[in-house]
Amino acid sequence: MRGLRGAARLQFQIVRADRGYLNEILANPFFAIIFLGIVRAAGRRDLTAYAVVAPVLITLWGMALEISGDIVDSDRGVGILEGVVATPVGFPTVVSGRVLAVTLLSGVAIVETWLVARIGFGVDITVHHPWALLATVVVTGLAAAGTAVIMAGVFVLARTAKTFQNSLNYPIFLLAGVIVPLSFLPGWLRPVGRVLFLSWSADLLRESLAPAAMVDLIPRLGIIVALGAAGLVVGRVVMHVVLTRVRILGTLSFE
Amino acid sequence: MADWAVEADDLGRVFEVKKRPAVVALSGVSLRVAPGEVHGLLGPNGAGKTTLVKILSTVLLPSAGGARVMGHDVVAETAAVRPLIGIVIGGDRGLYGRLTARQNLAYWAALYRLAPADGRERSEALLARVGLADRGDDRVQSYSRGMRQRLHLARGLINDPQVLFLDEPSTGMDPVAAREFRAIVRELAAEGRTVFLTTHDMAEAEAVCDRVTLIDRGQVLATESPTALSRLASRNERIECAGAGDGVLERVGALAGVERVTVTAESARIHLETEAAVGEVMRWLVAAGVTSVRVTRPSLEEVYLDMVGDRGMGV
Repeated sequence: MRGLRGAARLQFQIVRADRGYLNEILANPFFAIIFLGIVRAAGRRDLTAYAVVAPVLITLWGMALEISGDIVDSDRGVGILEGVVATPVGFPTVVSGRVLAVTLLSGVAIVETWLVARIGFGVDITVHHPWALLATVVVTGLAAAGTAVIMAGVFVLARTAKTFQNSLNYPIFLLAGVIVPLSFLPGWLRPVGRVLFLSWSADLLRESLAPAAMVDLIPRLGIIVALGAAGLVVGRVVMHVVLTRVRILGTLSFE
Repeated sequence: MADWAVEADDLGRVFEVKKRPAVVALSGVSLRVAPGEVHGLLGPNGAGKTTLVKILSTVLLPSAGGARVMGHDVVAETAAVRPLIGIVIGGDRGLYGRLTARQNLAYWAALYRLAPADGRERSEALLARVGLADRGDDRVQSYSRGMRQRLHLARGLINDPQVLFLDEPSTGMDPVAAREFRAIVRELAAEGRTVFLTTHDMAEAEAVCDRVTLIDRGQVLATESPTALSRLASRNERIECAGAGDGVLERVGALAGVERVTVTAESARIHLETEAAVGEVMRWLVAAGVTSVRVTRPSLEEVYLDMVGDRGMGV
C-alpha cells in the first residue's frame, strides 16, 4: 500500500506542477456541449442522461489511458523506468497508484458537465441517488487503475505509447455503451460491452440521475470492482511477461 | 552473511539487433567483490560496463552465465536482491525535473516501502549529506548537472542499500563536487557498504577503489588493486626528474640497468631494467645537481592505456 500511496501522491504532485495533465478535464465541457447539443437537436430529451454521463466517462477513461501511456513514455524518456522496475514495489503498483490519482481527479468532470447543462442548455440535472453516483465514480476509478496495468504493459513493448492510446479511446467508448446505448449495437457485440467495466459504470451513473429506485446497486458495483480486479490480475501477468521480454531485449530504456 | 557482495560467473550478454550482426556486450565475465569493498569497473566506451551494472541490478537479463548479489541470484531471486541494492545509472537523468528534491526522494522512499516518517527522515539526512538541504524545496530542473547527480546519489541511498551500483556517477561534476563525491564514497565504504562503480576517471578509481576491474570489449582484462595493476603494467621502477640537462640525461642513459630515458617539456623519465639500478641513478643525478627527483610507478591511466590500448575516439 505504501508504494500505491506514494505513486498516487507523486501523480498529484506532477499534475500540480504540469497542468498539461489536466487537458482531458479542460476538454470535458466541449464534449458535454457536443452531446447535449445533439440530444437537443434530435429532440431526444430521454437521452439527456447519456449526454451527461458520456463526457464524464470519456474524461475518466481518457485520463487513465493518457497517464498509463505517459508513465511509460516519459519515465522511459528521462531514465526513470529502469530504476522503478528495479525497486521492490514494482511497476504495476506504480501504474495503478498514478492512474488512480488521475481518475479520482476526473470526478471534477461531473461538476463541469452539470454546469454546462445548467448554464449552456438550461437543463437541471438532478442527482437522485448521490451516494450511488459517488460510489460508482470511486469504483470506476479503482477499476480503471487496475485495467491500466494491461495498457501500460502493452505500452512498454511499443516504442511510443501515443499510437496505441489514440486507437484505444473511441472503440472502447462505443463498445461500452458510453456514447450510444448498448442496445443500439448489433446483438453479437453487446456481450463484449458487458466485459468492459465502463458499460456497468455508465448504466449506474445514468440510473443515479433518474428518480426510479436503483436495482441491485451493490452487486453491480461488485461487478465493476471484479472486472477491475480481473484487469489488474491480467495486467500483472502481461506486465511480468512484457518486462521479462524487454529485460531480454534490453529495451527498457531507449538511449 | 554472503561471502561475496557481488559474484559474476562466466557472465555473457548479447544484444540482438534487427538486420545487423548481434552485439556481444559481455563475454565470460567473472568477478568477485567482497562486502565493504569499493570496486571500480574501468573501461572505454562500449566496453560493457553499464551492461554489467544493469544485469547485477536486475534491470537486464544475462544471455549466459550467472550473477549473485549478497548471495541472491539476480535472475531467479530479484525480489530478494532489489531491497538490498541502490542504483544510480544514467548520470543526471532519472529524476522528475518539475518536482522538488524532497518530492523526488519521497517517491523513491515509497517505492522501497519506507513508512512516510522514515522516508522523510532519511531524505533529510541524505539531502544534508549531499549538500542539498537548502535547495530541497527547489524544482530539480533548476539544478546544475552536478547538483542533479548528487541528488541522484541520494536517491540511490534512500533505501539504505548494502550494495550500491554507481554508473559513471561523477561525470559532469566540477572538481570540488567530484572531490566531495569521492569523500562520500569512502564514507559509504566505511559504513560497511559495498560500492560498485563504473568510471572513466582514473584519478577517481585510484582515489576511492580498493580494487579495479579493467574491462574491454566485454571481457575482463584484469582485476587488482590500483597499485597491483601498476606493477602488472611495469614491474620496474621509474625515476622522474626535473632540471637535468641533456648531457646528464645522456650519461644516465648509458648507465647499467637503465632501459631508456624519455624527455618531456617539464621533466625526464628514466625507465630502469632492474630495481638495483635505482641507487646508482639517484646518486648520479644528485651528484649532477639535480634535486627534483622521485621514484614512481605507472599511474592507473598508463596501465589503462597499456592494457586497453590508445584507440582515440574509437570504441
